[in-house]
Amino acid sequence: MSTQTSLTGKGDNLKTLVVVFLRGGADGLNMVAPAHDDGYYRARPRIAIKDRDTNAAKLDGSFILNPILKDLAAPYHDGALAVVHAVGSEDATRSHFEAQDLMERAGDVAGGWLGRYLRFRGATTTGALSAIAVSRALPESLRGAPAATVMRSLEDFTLGKGGGLLQASLEKLYAKEHDALGASARDTLAALSRIEKLSKTTYSPAHGASYERDDFSQGIKQVARLIKARVGLEAVSLDIGGWDSHITQSAVMDPQMRKLNAGLSAFYRDMGKTGMAHVTVVVMTEFGRRLAENSAFGTDHGRGSVMFLMGGGVKGGRVMAKWPGLTKDVLEGPGDLPVTINYRDVLAPILQRHSPQVDLAKVFPAFELKPQAIYG
Amino acid sequence: MNSSRRHFLQAGGAASLAAVAIGCDKIQVPEMLLPGRRATAPPDGPYATPAGKDIDLVSQALNRLTFGARPWDYQRTRKLGTTEEAAFAAFLDQQLAPEKIDDPNCENATRRFELLNEPLGELFEYQEKHLLDALVRSTVLRAVFTERQLYEVMVNFWSDHFNIDPSKGDAKWLKVADDRDVIRAHALGKFPAMLRASALSPAMLWYLDGRVNKKANDVDKPNENYARELLELHTLGVHGGYSQKDVMEVARCLTGWGVQEVGRSKLNLGSVEFKPLQHDRGEKVVLGHVIPRIPKQAKPEEIEKLGRAELDTVLGIIGLHPSTAKFIATKLCQRFIADAPPAAAVSGVAEKFIVSGGDIPATLRALFATDAFLTTRGNKLKRPFHYIVSTLRATHATTDAGPTIQDYLLRMGHAPFHYPTPDGYPEEAAPWLGTLLWRWNFAVALTKNELGNATKLDAAKLRASFATEENQMAHLLGRAPSADEITACKESGAPLALLLASPSFQKC
Repeated sequence: MSTQTSLTGKGDNLKTLVVVFLRGGADGLNMVAPAHDDGYYRARPRIAIKDRDTNAAKLDGSFILNPILKDLAAPYHDGALAVVHAVGSEDATRSHFEAQDLMERAGDVAGGWLGRYLRFRGATTTGALSAIAVSRALPESLRGAPAATVMRSLEDFTLGKGGGLLQASLEKLYAKEHDALGASARDTLAALSRIEKLSKTTYSPAHGASYERDDFSQGIKQVARLIKARVGLEAVSLDIGGWDSHITQSAVMDPQMRKLNAGLSAFYRDMGKTGMAHVTVVVMTEFGRRLAENSAFGTDHGRGSVMFLMGGGVKGGRVMAKWPGLTKDVLEGPGDLPVTINYRDVLAPILQRHSPQVDLAKVFPAFELKPQAIYG
Repeated sequence: MNSSRRHFLQAGGAASLAAVAIGCDKIQVPEMLLPGRRATAPPDGPYATPAGKDIDLVSQALNRLTFGARPWDYQRTRKLGTTEEAAFAAFLDQQLAPEKIDDPNCENATRRFELLNEPLGELFEYQEKHLLDALVRSTVLRAVFTERQLYEVMVNFWSDHFNIDPSKGDAKWLKVADDRDVIRAHALGKFPAMLRASALSPAMLWYLDGRVNKKANDVDKPNENYARELLELHTLGVHGGYSQKDVMEVARCLTGWGVQEVGRSKLNLGSVEFKPLQHDRGEKVVLGHVIPRIPKQAKPEEIEKLGRAELDTVLGIIGLHPSTAKFIATKLCQRFIADAPPAAAVSGVAEKFIVSGGDIPATLRALFATDAFLTTRGNKLKRPFHYIVSTLRATHATTDAGPTIQDYLLRMGHAPFHYPTPDGYPEEAAPWLGTLLWRWNFAVALTKNELGNATKLDAAKLRASFATEENQMAHLLGRAPSADEITACKESGAPLALLLASPSFQKC
């Protein structure tokens, strides 16, 4: 029996959703800047991304990419990466905790949206390694998943020190079980063995990709390995923290953008065109930042921000926005880019693409979905 | 008292206890005061264990009617009768009269969660995360330590049947009262009484929107959320013979019930009220039963009386309906017999449900007397909660049901009070098959004492509870070990972890 396909029963058709959460409220306006909107330059005389003095990639004649994110221009121009702008949630507390909580739970309901997706995606069984959080604890979004694994590295997938003997004994006992439990045990053991083999070999990323040494790059590298090893990965959650740029914005944010740029672009290269067809990467944050810079070269908590969507057939090469303009009358509350697209409307079509049978009403309850046309 | 002061007191209590434990290591802190708990073992060890190569009736009872056997449970239960059958019958009699069973270990383990006994309105003084933590921990601790095991198993069953996700609205506070006054109050009582308590549970009125189901004017459309789940999930079952029209009509009958809620009032928070002016006074027809119009000239107190009575009329129609009997019997048989139980068992149990007036102990007695129950052994996959609790019981571990335990339950998707939809955690095996890696990891962590200071086992003490290594294996497996299991234990280098991770221990 080929374990390559038995783990999921879906073989090559299995799609993986990789969610990257930028914690702390990432400034979408400086990641993908509205170069066409004077309001932006007026409000940010000192910290705006300036068209003229940077190599800023022009995305679509209106928006420009922060030069630190320059390597995302390649997937963008390949048509594999799309930006959604002025996107976010309905939470207007501008509290990190409240906003992250709401966005990850997606409503006044138990578990997180990713967890509920896995439970209500229309599959009867869930593989041992279907959901992974590359972090120290289970994120809110993955709560309620039928089985979720928290890992820092591949080495976490063992039965402890000296677990080899135990594993061998378990293999013998479960070999005699001819029911679904036995089958599931064999899948789990096969996944353990495969990961053990992986962790003993040095990983060579494909297509000349090279990963940086920071946590995010190392984490997404492990994700690439696991996807290639076909252990049945369906949902992954990764975080990049440190986006709360109240003072000297560039000192706070630039290092995080460097991580995002390096990690995503290495992953994109490593997976290659064929690989990326089966993977959708979603980058999101709990809220954006105030339009106007503050006296400390920073920005305070705001509302709308950006999402990046990469791979999985997403129609890239465009900035999707219902751009409201940045005039006083459209700014929200203390002067924030309004949320014109709800993040659920971006996620819903992706979930449906990955699992056509998904019960979206259970994943995003009490919300009238208006799915965005992210596939064109 | 305001909530912040209460939290301070709680935190202060925990901190000073820790100071005693850390700062003065010469002072022996009584075990009772430490966060981790261990059940008191009876003194008459080493304990007898099952001898047959198949699961006998006593082990079957311990597998199915409890959250797993502790080291002494087999001996103690077997001694209740001269034959296995007599022992089983006596055990069942005991378990169906939980009020007569002393439960000191459980009382000690859960005493610190006294906030769960607060009256309805007082619950709002606590932060919701503290309430949820107390609910989850006391639920795990009760399952581990209580002698009233069948009662606790039924609490677990009804918690799923009448599932409420406490994330929603004021259910954050009110689920505590639902757990106490609906689920625990009626778990071994009469089904119609539990159904009525659930219908008027403020947490349920929040969770399924009953509180906003009203007809105050001509344009108000009743909210049918609760009415639908009442018919589909609580009573008749989805194919139970009702129509969309019946759902609407039931919703109309239940218009006017509400809850005093946070933000609108400070008085009587969480209490349930009937508002006659929000009740739909027109004629309704529910499953063919006509509920007459409330006359226009009726006085307010008359409207109130008749309007309130419609709730009982509806529950009277559906509470002991043959479809309800079949639905409840099917779910009970799935829990206690097999994921796909034989039709004969289901129909016998359903019949008993009806003739006993929905008496849960009588219904269970009928179930436990079926051939299917008596002969179908070792075939059910333990759900993760059952698995975790059974490992702690089997190894006589201490535990405080703290973060490490909850973390495993969350990873396996089976933490109590964390299920989003009203159907409750699934009972059948398929959705849980992806949890094996975490069960194995838990077995390894528990046997290596890597679950923190409050959850520990004493392997030497455990081993000393049995005359031989094979007796210990028989205790864990509920039968004599096979040659394969003995070999695997020897080869594994970690026999206890291997047994807890073995296929047989995943099942009951």
